[in-house]
Amino acid sequence: MVDSDERRRRFLKLSGALGVAGLTGLAGCSSGGGSGDDAAANIGMVYATGGLGDGSFNDQAQAGIQQAAEDFDIAYEESQPETNSEFQPTQRQYAQSGNYDLVSCIGYAQADALSTNAAAFPDQDWVIVDSVVDEPNVASYGFREHEGSFLVGYMAGMLTTRDFSAGAGSTSADTKTVGFVGGTETPLIQKFQAGFEAGVNHHDDSIEVVTSYVGSFNDPAAGQEQARSMYDSGADIVYHASGATGVGVFRAAQDMGKFAIGVDKDQSITQASFADVILASMVKRVDTAVYTAVESVVNDNFAGGEQTTFGLSDDGVEAVYGDQLGSQIPEDVKSTVADAREQIIAGDITVPSKPQ
Amino acid sequence: MSKFRKALERLVDASAKERIAVSAAALALSILVGAAVVFVSGIVATCASPAFSVLGVGVCYDPINVFTELFLGALGHPEQGGWSPTNYRVAIALQQTTLLVFTGLAVAVSFRAGLFNIGVQGQLVFGALAAAVATIWAGAIAPSGVLGTVFLVPLGLLAGAVAGGLYGALPGALKAYGGANEVITTIMLNFIASNVAYVLVSSFLMPESSQLVQTAVIPAAAKIPNVPVIGFEARDAFSLVALVGALAFITGVAYLLAKTSFGYDIRTSGLQEQAAAYSGVDAKRTTVLSMALSGALAGVGGAVWVLMVKGRFLTGLPSLGFDGITVSILAGNNPIGVGAAAFLFGVLKSGTIAVDFSTDVPVELVDVLRGLIILFVAMPEFFRLIGKRYLGLGGEQRA
Repeated sequence: MVDSDERRRRFLKLSGALGVAGLTGLAGCSSGGGSGDDAAANIGMVYATGGLGDGSFNDQAQAGIQQAAEDFDIAYEESQPETNSEFQPTQRQYAQSGNYDLVSCIGYAQADALSTNAAAFPDQDWVIVDSVVDEPNVASYGFREHEGSFLVGYMAGMLTTRDFSAGAGSTSADTKTVGFVGGTETPLIQKFQAGFEAGVNHHDDSIEVVTSYVGSFNDPAAGQEQARSMYDSGADIVYHASGATGVGVFRAAQDMGKFAIGVDKDQSITQASFADVILASMVKRVDTAVYTAVESVVNDNFAGGEQTTFGLSDDGVEAVYGDQLGSQIPEDVKSTVADAREQIIAGDITVPSKPQ
Repeated sequence: MSKFRKALERLVDASAKERIAVSAAALALSILVGAAVVFVSGIVATCASPAFSVLGVGVCYDPINVFTELFLGALGHPEQGGWSPTNYRVAIALQQTTLLVFTGLAVAVSFRAGLFNIGVQGQLVFGALAAAVATIWAGAIAPSGVLGTVFLVPLGLLAGAVAGGLYGALPGALKAYGGANEVITTIMLNFIASNVAYVLVSSFLMPESSQLVQTAVIPAAAKIPNVPVIGFEARDAFSLVALVGALAFITGVAYLLAKTSFGYDIRTSGLQEQAAAYSGVDAKRTTVLSMALSGALAGVGGAVWVLMVKGRFLTGLPSLGFDGITVSILAGNNPIGVGAAAFLFGVLKSGTIAVDFSTDVPVELVDVLRGLIILFVAMPEFFRLIGKRYLGLGGEQRA
């Protein structure tokens, strides 16, 4: 750090002699922090399919880069591939141009494409969220989604076994069923399911958890259909981990007068029209991951090749109660959930990351 | 009506030179209209720093810049210095061209037989899946290196052709022997194909730790190899060998349609079914076989997608099959024209990525521009088709 500063100062003095025009010409060629703009760093963002405006995963990632842009003097450029096969050329755009200090790949679906690109562009720094790419120029960030899912599952378990109503939804003590809607049936989304089930059963293991995978993170109609049949079969509360598909789950909850649980962002705020049925959201701080990675680039201590996992203890995942319904959830439920959180952090409760 | 009829007649009887002139004029017109759309959107949109301002009104998007990127950016800016014809943007354009040649040909063959195969996407999916499964399975017994490539690549293509062909023959048989409308059946079979593929892969073919619904990686030897010395890199996911193969398919299909007796059967049934039957064409057999051929071409396209681009099968394939319909219509269902239309599509695809990357124009707006260009260029051909088919105008079918 000191070294490079000193070098830069000497370089500046030297080029000062060559005149201002010469300076800008040379500075333009120097690599490192300088991009075409005057920004401290230039960041590329490649979002997951489903795109911005999902009120969930991608929007949470964008919140991170926006916060970073506010705090540090950086510039950024965004891309929203529509299918999994577009990741490779999209990532490559950034690497090929050579103008980006860091390219953030949001979502596990980009891992394969990134393995290829990271090896093909060894001088480009990358970050991947939700997956691990084992290359020296890639920083990998993951989350303990099962821990946060356990907490919302525990809450759902307590509420489905009693009569409770708030906003536009209600539960009945007669039916002991809750539901889970996932995007695709893959190890990462199964972590949400596993944690949720464990949480529900932690309260009462006779509660039935119906699960369904839609096969897409961008199919609200299918999400609505799946959730509707769950509510029809007696589920009081449905938790989703399915990106934009989850909007359909909320709609079904509203149609049927039942509850839903959001994911990734506080969805009672991002999907405010459904705030009267969203009990809580399992927030996953994708924004923290993006922000941390950008910060490390700005501070010149980017840790390529390292893996970081955020959990409950560092607020990487957390259960937040709905903006509108949170105050109506009984205090005893909330305090029991808070206790469970402490127990997980202390290691007294072990949450499985694979469905039983 | 008579005015419209006259205009149609004029279009149908246009010579090749005139048709090229019409296409060029349509292209120019579409750019003008597109530029106006970009300009107006630029006034409506809000942005931090306008590209330029007119009469004190800031305009966010620069239409000239957008179209420069769309066409020249698509090829990596040949007008600027230091350009090489093997840069990666050219690779993307040619990669898309190669894939669209197959789906375009698939649609063209069915169209020439008077059948509308909307199921090319489904046939492509099964072709791709079959190619992946076959090469992974045979990879265990195949030799490695060049010998393996010589064995595995043709095997993958063959598997794709067989799977796509069978899946295309199915709606053909339903039409020939059950009278089922092939437009409806092929549309439905698209959904069946993608969902069956999803279930097959997620239940039986997915590697344990995979986060995506996909098969294992195909053996390295099964990848369509690059030509040594010529500078497309392995990471470009494009191979000149495949493009040359696609051109060979164009020639083959053109020859088949023009010179063989099966091609004669296809063309006559497409033009006038009763007359074809009268002249001894077995209509049922021709229906099934031309749908099978169409499906086989789509299947090969899917195989090329696996063997050249992805190196494995994964769900959520790009909509190459549906784009093939437009490619074929743009080409007037002429196999040679399919090559040119596929190249236009490839350039537009690569250009869309370039515009998205280099300008602030939202990608949806680029899709509008792309649509405008295709619409304008395809319209004269479309009216020619209508004119020929439903008004009984013009002479014999021009190749």
